[in-house]
Amino acid sequence: MIPQLLDGTLVLVVVVLAWRALNDRDLFRGVIEFIALGLLLAMAWLRLRAPDLALAEAAVGSGLTGALILSALVRMRRREQAAAGQTAGGATGPRGEARGKNHSRMVLGALSLAMLGILAWAALSLPAKSPGLTAEALARLPDSGVTNPVTAVLLNFRAYDTLLEIGVLLLAIVGVWALRRGDWPAADLRERLLLLSLLRWVLPLLAVGAGYLLWIGASAPGGAFQGGALLAGALLLALLSGLGKRLLWRERLIRTGLTLGVLVFGVAGAVALGWTGGLLQYPTGQAGAWILVIEAAALVSIGLTLGLLYLGGRPEEK
Amino acid sequence: MTPAWFMGGLILGPLVAAALAFTFPKRGRGMACAAAGVVGIAVTALIRAVLGGGVSSHRVSGWGAPLGIDLRADGLAVLLLALTALIAVAVTGYAAPYLRATDSPEARHRERYFWPLLLFLWTALNALFLTRDLFNLYVALELLGFAAVALVALEGKGDALRAALRYLFVSLSASLFYLLGVALVYGQCATVDLALVAGRAQPGPALTVALALMTGGLIAKAALFPLHFWLPPAHANAPAPVSALLSALVVKGAFYLLLRLWFEALPVFHTPAAARLFGMLGAAAILWGSINALTQSRLKLLIAYSTVAQLGYLFLMFSLMTGRDGGFGAWCGALLLLGARACAKTAMFLAAGNILRAAGHDRINDLAGIAQVLPVSAFALGLAGVSLVGLPPSGGFAGKWLLLSAGLREGQWWGGAVILVGSLLAAAYIMRVMTRAFTPAAPGTAVRPVPPIMEWTALALALVAVGMGLAGSWLAELLRVGGPWP
Repeated sequence: MIPQLLDGTLVLVVVVLAWRALNDRDLFRGVIEFIALGLLLAMAWLRLRAPDLALAEAAVGSGLTGALILSALVRMRRREQAAAGQTAGGATGPRGEARGKNHSRMVLGALSLAMLGILAWAALSLPAKSPGLTAEALARLPDSGVTNPVTAVLLNFRAYDTLLEIGVLLLAIVGVWALRRGDWPAADLRERLLLLSLLRWVLPLLAVGAGYLLWIGASAPGGAFQGGALLAGALLLALLSGLGKRLLWRERLIRTGLTLGVLVFGVAGAVALGWTGGLLQYPTGQAGAWILVIEAAALVSIGLTLGLLYLGGRPEEK
Repeated sequence: MTPAWFMGGLILGPLVAAALAFTFPKRGRGMACAAAGVVGIAVTALIRAVLGGGVSSHRVSGWGAPLGIDLRADGLAVLLLALTALIAVAVTGYAAPYLRATDSPEARHRERYFWPLLLFLWTALNALFLTRDLFNLYVALELLGFAAVALVALEGKGDALRAALRYLFVSLSASLFYLLGVALVYGQCATVDLALVAGRAQPGPALTVALALMTGGLIAKAALFPLHFWLPPAHANAPAPVSALLSALVVKGAFYLLLRLWFEALPVFHTPAAARLFGMLGAAAILWGSINALTQSRLKLLIAYSTVAQLGYLFLMFSLMTGRDGGFGAWCGALLLLGARACAKTAMFLAAGNILRAAGHDRINDLAGIAQVLPVSAFALGLAGVSLVGLPPSGGFAGKWLLLSAGLREGQWWGGAVILVGSLLAAAYIMRVMTRAFTPAAPGTAVRPVPPIMEWTALALALVAVGMGLAGSWLAELLRVGGPWP
């Protein structure tokens, strides 16, 4: 009874929060609601017994995305203020648009409901106990080099997907850098000694934590994506405190770090091709070691990519 | 060297080159040339393997479907891989002088980012054409979509950014629709492998909704009427080599995926009603695109609307594939048309880029004298037009002929009528440009010089488009390998 009640409440709160996040007039509050929504979704994944997804959702879906949206909001406000200062008029909201917006929102809402109905119709017709590929994946797990089935799927059974996804991540940062110059966080906290001494402890701890998540990923929930998200969090702290600028001074190094995942993964794929005759087919008995090397490189790239996206553009180029 | 090596080279070559081109921004062009070398060898070898030994497959990581991901090179896949390689190489040759024309910080910046993005785009297309896995196709689509959007935004000006943002929204939501469909397919069939799905598919609500979602998303990506609205601004505002890539290849990627879905994974759904719907949308696209092309005042917008029309011909094929006997003809016709169009479109956008460079604008009404200053580009534009209209012996002619005869065999005279009307409209808008271009210039119009390689690249592709009709039987032989016929 208790679990059902818990699940019911969770579903209800998720829906209400999603609605609030979309509709809140105060954009800042909307973003906070979005972050809370991400955390609750992580709990929902936990209830669905998908701890790996829960970790990723909490770190990326809620934490990093929240940070990105917040920084976008701050930039938007800054620009609005600048524009308002130029026109020397009051910054009243455009009320006239509100009615039109409400109208299109109703249409969108109706469409979403219709979509929900169609999807429910389709989902309810699915076989109640879909065999899926779980049984086969578990049967082959001993040959995969790791004991965590999620890592086995990501880095062995469907390693090719992951290779392309690491490529998508790299492409994301290339695209953002191509678009514009980044803004460094305005607040330089270097004078706040207490914060700095705290960060001196926290940053290494986060880095060690990322490494731990990577290592534990072979046998338990964790892995390059979760570790990378943690690393990105550390990088974000460093950027916000002004420590990051020294790190990013060396652009070649940063670029190498960003591409490391694709390069190591791609070269590993080619070497495996020469070794075993199969693309990304690890030599028998060595899969665990290969996976660890590839994941370590991917961890660096994922952490750097997710963290640097916060700048919203490329660091200064000489 | 087994086919696995060639497939590996096709994917890893451009991917690693893209990463290196980002790490070493000044070596971008070199990386693109290296990737072109690897891909060129791999494609040639793969075509030989397919023609000699039939379809070749490879199990990535050694597992095999359903647990792993399978790659497969059949006639259709290698044809599109070769087409991609041809156009990407041409664009590489064209882009080098194009990007270096001025030595401003903006130009240097564009050059630094163009090469990695181009290489990502190439990786995505190669991956898309080779894989047999619905989820892997999603990842490839994401890679393709993001690369394309970033390339459109490379121009960095207001209109281009707006077009890129709109393109991003369409592309992202289309990907999500596709992904929803994949999830439903997995729930129903417990596999995402194309061939296994075909074996386990039973018509029901889940697969119906799944196919509808995937098709909707892909139609938006392929810019089939009425979901074409994002295409003209995106293609017209991008830099010339980017417009060429987008128009020739990116929209075709989504079309290719639709072919795989409707004819290989879920052919049970290919009913006459569905076929007619596709045919009608295709016909509407031909008419709407052509009429809009006729009324544009800018050359690049005209070419972009003509792309909307050309995509209609490809979808006309769906309605002609219902009869088993006529299927092969329509299939070959549409793919021949796709190839010829891709080359012709590239040639036209590159020529338009030359005109823009020389004259500083691409207003059709002010094109007088262009044929005197840029004879090669004007000739390329004309030749590409010949293929677009479908005059013999161009690839456009052969493709349209095959489609027409398939339509007549199936008793679908209306399809034939639309093809003929579309060709007439194409002739009209091409002639509109050509008559202006060949009008002698008023004396004293200043033009900037254009590097010869930029002109000759455009011409070379136009010649391929025209010559493709002569290679029709060879292409048909290639297409027969592993196609959906008994």
